[in-house]
Amino acid sequence: MQRSLLSLPLNFSLRNKLFNAGFRVIADLQRLTDSELIHEAGVSQQDVLELLQAVRGEGGDAWSSSTSLELLQKEGESRSIVSFCSQLDEALSGGVPVGKITEVCGTPGVGKTQLCLQVAVDVQIPPCFGGLGGHVIFVDTEGGFLLQRIEDIAAAVVRHCSLLVEDDEQREGILTFTVETILSNIYVVRCNDYIEVLAQLHLLPDFLLEHPRTCLLVIDSVACPFRHIEVVSQRTQLLQSLGLQLTNLAIRYNLAVLVTNHMTTRLQGSQSQLVPALGELWGHAPTIRLLLQWLNSQRVAIVVKSPDHMEAIVQYQITSDGLRDVDESV
Amino acid sequence: MVFLRADMCPGLDSDLVRDLRAADVKTVEDLVSSNLEDLAHRCSVSYKALYAIRRVLLAQHSAFPVSGADLYEELLSSTAIISTGNPSLDKLLDSGLYTGEITELSGGPGSGKSQVCFGVAVHVSLQLKQNVIYVDTTGGLSASRLLQMLRAQTCNVEEQMEALQRIRVCRLFDIFALLHCLHTLCSDSSSSSSVEGGAVAAAVAAGGGGVEGVSLQQASVSGGSVKAVIVDSVSAVISPLLGGNHTEAMSLMIQVAGILRTMAKDFNVAVLVTNHVTRNTSSSRSCGTDVQPGLGVSWSHIPRTRVLLERVEEAGTGIQPSVRSATLIKSSRQPCFLREEFDLRFWSQTKTSTSGKRKREESDS
Ligand SMILES: Nc1ncnc2c1ncn2[C@@H]1O[C@H](COP(=O)(O)OP(=O)(O)OP(=O)(O)O)[C@@H](O)[C@H]1O
Ligand SMILES: [Mg+2]
Repeated sequence: MQRSLLSLPLNFSLRNKLFNAGFRVIADLQRLTDSELIHEAGVSQQDVLELLQAVRGEGGDAWSSSTSLELLQKEGESRSIVSFCSQLDEALSGGVPVGKITEVCGTPGVGKTQLCLQVAVDVQIPPCFGGLGGHVIFVDTEGGFLLQRIEDIAAAVVRHCSLLVEDDEQREGILTFTVETILSNIYVVRCNDYIEVLAQLHLLPDFLLEHPRTCLLVIDSVACPFRHIEVVSQRTQLLQSLGLQLTNLAIRYNLAVLVTNHMTTRLQGSQSQLVPALGELWGHAPTIRLLLQWLNSQRVAIVVKSPDHMEAIVQYQITSDGLRDVDESV
Repeated sequence: MVFLRADMCPGLDSDLVRDLRAADVKTVEDLVSSNLEDLAHRCSVSYKALYAIRRVLLAQHSAFPVSGADLYEELLSSTAIISTGNPSLDKLLDSGLYTGEITELSGGPGSGKSQVCFGVAVHVSLQLKQNVIYVDTTGGLSASRLLQMLRAQTCNVEEQMEALQRIRVCRLFDIFALLHCLHTLCSDSSSSSSVEGGAVAAAVAAGGGGVEGVSLQQASVSGGSVKAVIVDSVSAVISPLLGGNHTEAMSLMIQVAGILRTMAKDFNVAVLVTNHVTRNTSSSRSCGTDVQPGLGVSWSHIPRTRVLLERVEEAGTGIQPSVRSATLIKSSRQPCFLREEFDLRFWSQTKTSTSGKRKREESDS
């Protein structure tokens, strides 16, 4: 099949010039020297460069290919971030995975932010203690990032690690793993509306270049800034591109992406049902979807979507130290 | 209208193009509709050569009339049916995925589309020993799940690794990358010999530069051929366009459809794509379901077969979160609204020959 010039990501004016000069398919460009091209289509040297990039498939639309065996090795190398609730980690096949989008949904106050804060601390556990030793960028859209809370959680994690110290490397490691370093390695960005969120994500690649140890991006929440966009079609479109952008970031920069979402009611006939907000189309974006809710005055987490674990329901509790297994305190 | 150009296809060199022009045959249409014997005589080339050229051009520009008998013969000689590995789905699809066709799975988040795609990929690579191309546009592919599925079918580690090697994953997150990828897969890597012209021309000749080791033809040379191309999900890259410039979005969508079709037909592979669903908010509809596949009417003509996946909501007790229903909503072989149920744990169960299905049927009755 002849590949149409329309399939190239070209700017409007360049595409028009080529069309007006009679070029339709990519094969039409064959056998022309670059100066002939410039002459025949009336394009600039700059245009030729753009065209070249587009034909080679470089730039924004790049793609990569590997065998799934190579992917398996990669997956084995990049560890997941534990949550300190072992049942939850098991249901997530090890924790919040790097390279994927994980979404936490739940009604207000059910513990979404607590989970985010816990993970933002846990990701920093040094490699000698089996952690990732990574830094965090925390996009806070609801003002839920409470310093006091994160200090408590961080202190508990530091205590936990100091009890594990056995060898010299760990003795060394614990010296630089303190509440202060934990706090200083979380970059908090407050965003008030969706434009600020989108702008922030747009700038993220530059940030990641400067802070290469970043391996977790938290957005708490996605729902708040996007829910109230009046025009539904606009909202859907923005969310769709947000989804692609986050997937891209997760894979290209080996980031764990953790986002939170609200719940909303959906009417089905005469019944109403609580479902994650932002519409069903958005629901495809996260690879893993976690539902937090109350069941018989007990906190439970349900892993409703996971690529490698069947649906699971686990109990957890939130203590002053953070997220924990239920039976721990009994 | 497409003008004849040298090297459009093997055997069509610049001399022949000139001779054809002289004989007033300028476009592909002209060539296809002219009397070849007469033309061969006038241009002093062999009838056989012209016939071969016409065949290739016909394949490249398939909108020309071809006799039904020819079609039927070609169909018989080339179509293969590829089992999905899951008996319920095979039953729904009248034995499996047909090569030369596009099959679509649609469903909401977590409905099991990717799981079915994984299952097909594993079945084709392990049981049929054929190659699979998996285009992942959502980052949802989990190689460890593929391994889980393989382990359920064989405990031979070497076989597992070989199977994983036969599944090639292309990751991309926008429509232009998808088009570039699909065109690269279809490009004929062996014909990039004569490079003339400038840098752009060279890039075009190199089949877009591409990524090494990914071409449907190349893959078939290195043992086993590509039998399945999976795009999970096609809607993730198309639907973000639909809110914007409509004409442009349609044009890109049609191009994706076109290249997928070419792929299916010319390389005789089964193409499996996934799609989202839209929900009818307006109360209860009389028949069928209240959900339908996304991407609208124009796309609905593209897949030959469409299957809708849904969670099975069982009232009361015994909710089985891993059971899914598959409903046939478009097919040219089976009655529509045929419905089958299957369990996502199917691919985790250790299989001894042909157990799986029988067990389920027993437990159903
Ligand atoms: N090993 C497993 N055993 C049983 N069920 C599993 C297993 N792994 C995943 N699942 C289930 O598969 C479902 C996820 O399916 P899948 O990822 O295919 O959805 P999808 O249709 O592709 O969704 P999306 O459109 O959001 O990508 C979840 O309900 C999950 O619990
Ligand atoms: Mg999926």
